[in-house]
Amino acid sequence: MSDWRRIDIDAFDPESGRLTSKDIEPPYPSQVTLQELSTKISQLRSLASSGDAKSAVALAVSDPPYSGDESTKNEYFKVVLETLSNVRQADISGIVSGLTPIQQDVLVKYLYKGMSIPEGQKQGGILLAWFERVTQVAGVRPVSHFINDRNTV
Amino acid sequence: MSQSLRPYLTAVRYSLEAALTLTNFSSQEVERHNRPEIEVPNTSAELLLQPMHIARSETEQVLIEPSVNSVRISLMVKQADEIEQILVHKFTMFLEQRAEAFHILRRAPIKGYSISFLITNKHTESMKTGKLVDFIIEFMEEVDKEISEMKLFLNARARFVANEYLGEFVY
Amino acid sequence: MSSQSVSAVFKLVKAPIYSHCFSQDKSLLAVTCKNDCLIYRFTNGSPQLVATLSNHDKTVTAVDISIHGRIVTCSQDRNAYVWEPLSDGTYKPTLVLLRINRAATCVSWAPSGYKFAVGSSARIIAVCYYEQENNWWVSKHIKKPIKSTVGCLSWHSNGVLLASGGTDGYMRIFSGFVKGLDSKDAVAGSPWGDKFPFGALVREFYHGSYIEDVEWRSSIESIGYVSHEGTLNVVDANNNHSQVNAPDGLPFNTLLWINDHEILCAGFSNHPVLFAEATGGWQFAKDLDKPASTDLSAHNTGNNNNNEDLDESEDVSATFGISALRKFKQLDLKGKVSTDVNETAHENTITQLLPYQETNGQVTQASACGLDGKVVIYNI
Repeated sequence: MSDWRRIDIDAFDPESGRLTSKDIEPPYPSQVTLQELSTKISQLRSLASSGDAKSAVALAVSDPPYSGDESTKNEYFKVVLETLSNVRQADISGIVSGLTPIQQDVLVKYLYKGMSIPEGQKQGGILLAWFERVTQVAGVRPVSHFINDRNTV
Repeated sequence: MSQSLRPYLTAVRYSLEAALTLTNFSSQEVERHNRPEIEVPNTSAELLLQPMHIARSETEQVLIEPSVNSVRISLMVKQADEIEQILVHKFTMFLEQRAEAFHILRRAPIKGYSISFLITNKHTESMKTGKLVDFIIEFMEEVDKEISEMKLFLNARARFVANEYLGEFVY
Repeated sequence: MSSQSVSAVFKLVKAPIYSHCFSQDKSLLAVTCKNDCLIYRFTNGSPQLVATLSNHDKTVTAVDISIHGRIVTCSQDRNAYVWEPLSDGTYKPTLVLLRINRAATCVSWAPSGYKFAVGSSARIIAVCYYEQENNWWVSKHIKKPIKSTVGCLSWHSNGVLLASGGTDGYMRIFSGFVKGLDSKDAVAGSPWGDKFPFGALVREFYHGSYIEDVEWRSSIESIGYVSHEGTLNVVDANNNHSQVNAPDGLPFNTLLWINDHEILCAGFSNHPVLFAEATGGWQFAKDLDKPASTDLSAHNTGNNNNNEDLDESEDVSATFGISALRKFKQLDLKGKVSTDVNETAHENTITQLLPYQETNGQVTQASACGLDGKVVIYNI
């Protein structure tokens, strides 16, 4: 009780109407689990090893596991990062322009996520190369979408 | 200037352009206050937008934290060795002590970064957004250059001093 | 091109204008300026300052003029005033009992001119009307389920349905039915429902990002809204939803229905953009007042003194080479990199678009105000 002056009395008001980060998450019908993703992950790996970078990237950035929990997202992200970093620099442009606008938005989400964690920062150059190509194709739009989107990857 | 600097700055530029879309927003927590939402312990999660990390390497990063009426930009300036650490610290301190002259400079960097900027809707209303972005980009270019120049100068000076001093002992 | 689409530019104040409004006959213009609201009278096409409404002590956020010429202003000081024009050209203020404890953000007269709605940061919409007995404006609150600041409001032409949007990412339609003012006939046969008691939530649309502006198109029972992620959305009573991205990627602050199939939007890209409804949904139609050169300088400006672009082997597209060449030429102009000779009429963000001239339900001229302290009239 020593710091009673600092008690946030509004927090006790059920009508305060404050939104927590939990509240602003979009309503998901169900939660994706790692098991459900495993087929997609193995598919990604096989595409990447067969050298079909284009389909691998397209698959990686379609229908991402928005509703999954933190560990599921991280697990999936590792595969995406692998896929992205295995693409040759010269191929990036072609792949990016082949993506739909929604896929480009998702790609940008993964790029930002990548650059926020040490694993991705080590590959900073590669992620930035991807980022540059995306902005050449789509301009500032995917970034605008990223900062406003409550669906996190 | 190395090859990977351009994509790095491009990324920062686009991220800033998207983030600098601010509105005049009065606090919904405190009566008759209008405060940068990114800077206050925020109880309304919806007012903060997704933070953007842009990393060239582990030691060179930018963190852009947008909110409804303010953006905080924090730079991590490359510090390869102890001398650079000291130089960056002194240099940013020098600027921060004169923060009001720079309008958008924050008095103290946020934890883990070398220098921080705070841009609010007041700034975007009175200055052109494009110029603000240009300023940050130019600052990022200049600060690296400045630090390496200072380091060269420091080394040259040290060599000269050492020569002079040790010259005494040479016969 | 810009000379065609810009009809007139009025540089009024050295402060951001958050909101403006012309009187019914376009002879008066009210703009917000810091803590005041300024009234200009147009004589021979040039504005003359005739009155300063200065009862507020915080930033005035919005102004609106009713069909009867009453001006309502609201401010971040939590108050709203109704200003009654007097015969000597001055205005008599009446305080509105808003009963909100945070900033008022937006205000809109109902088409009838007998009530208005005020949005606020207190997560409340106050619907205000005049009470004869007490000689003041009283308000009724719409509270649930608003979860964050209300940023924009729009009345349906029937004066009952009220669309609102805000930072909680929902576009909601409420009933603003006030007994004694509105008749049930106005909403008879409405596709949005059959009963509209005051404050009832008629419909809500989840969007996610902030809703910056919302506007009814009553004739086709549709609502357009723009959001902070840079999209224009159109929804109708059957929950059909059409979405289109801003061509510049930057968000819009305001929208205006031109006719049933065209919408004008404007915001952070400093110039209005026209969208049109095609068979496949809404689509970008054209830019108004957009200088041709900005496209190049806005993009591919990774840095301003890098000539290494030239020897980069991979991916030298046509625009890239040109932009690199331009950079090279600009080397000696350091500090003036983004100087564009032909600027847009608005030099900063546009905050509000309103119809200026209409013929046969088609808006032919629109007025816009912006953070640069200008009001611009655009031809469409």
